[in-house]
Amino acid sequence: MSFQEKNVTVSLVNFSLILGFFLVRVLQMIQGGGFNSTNVFRLWGIVIALAVVVTIFATILTHIVSAIIYAIRTGEEKSNVEDIEDERDKLIDLRGTKLTYLLASIGSFLSMLTFVLGQPPLVMFTSLIFFGVLAQILGDVLRLYLYRRGF
Amino acid sequence: MDKRRINNNIRKLRFFQNEMTQQELAQKVGVTRQTIIAMEQGKYSPSLELAFRIALVFGVPLEEVFSYDVEDEAKK
Repeated sequence: MSFQEKNVTVSLVNFSLILGFFLVRVLQMIQGGGFNSTNVFRLWGIVIALAVVVTIFATILTHIVSAIIYAIRTGEEKSNVEDIEDERDKLIDLRGTKLTYLLASIGSFLSMLTFVLGQPPLVMFTSLIFFGVLAQILGDVLRLYLYRRGF
Repeated sequence: MDKRRINNNIRKLRFFQNEMTQQELAQKVGVTRQTIIAMEQGKYSPSLELAFRIALVFGVPLEEVFSYDVEDEAKK
């Protein structure tokens, strides 16, 4: 598994956990009667902060752990060539990003549609972040699929 | 439409270069070992620039490394 592939896997796990956390919190809010603007926007902030901070730390941690494992297994320092992003990595990343943007756009449209159909704005904001995180997850799934299957 | 029409002899050429490893070839052409593996398995068709770099490493013309499967096209 290349470094880029490990990064995508870590990103997939991160965003899946964040989506799980988000859904649990939203369900708790709905059941507990706390589905109001203060709680929803606080959750927005938490999800965005988690997405940024956890992704940065997870990437650094992946780099360190994979270098340690490589050194233990081979007794050599990690070769730099595995860390580079070559043309295949860039193509796979582009395809993943394309799918992410497409799904995020569709999600934004559907979210706004809820507002048009008479739902409160909180529903729109909640579904906006849901579709954003979901789009990221599906983009990562496509990246992993392309790494495994080739294209 | 067949997606894998570009074939290559990278594995054979590595063998004739004193069993050059995938890692060595990857370092010489500036890609990851996974990209070399994907090319050898026919799962990835390289860019023209990378194809030329690979041919230069083996010291052979481009058409000795890569070939285009024209027969499949003609059958259709």
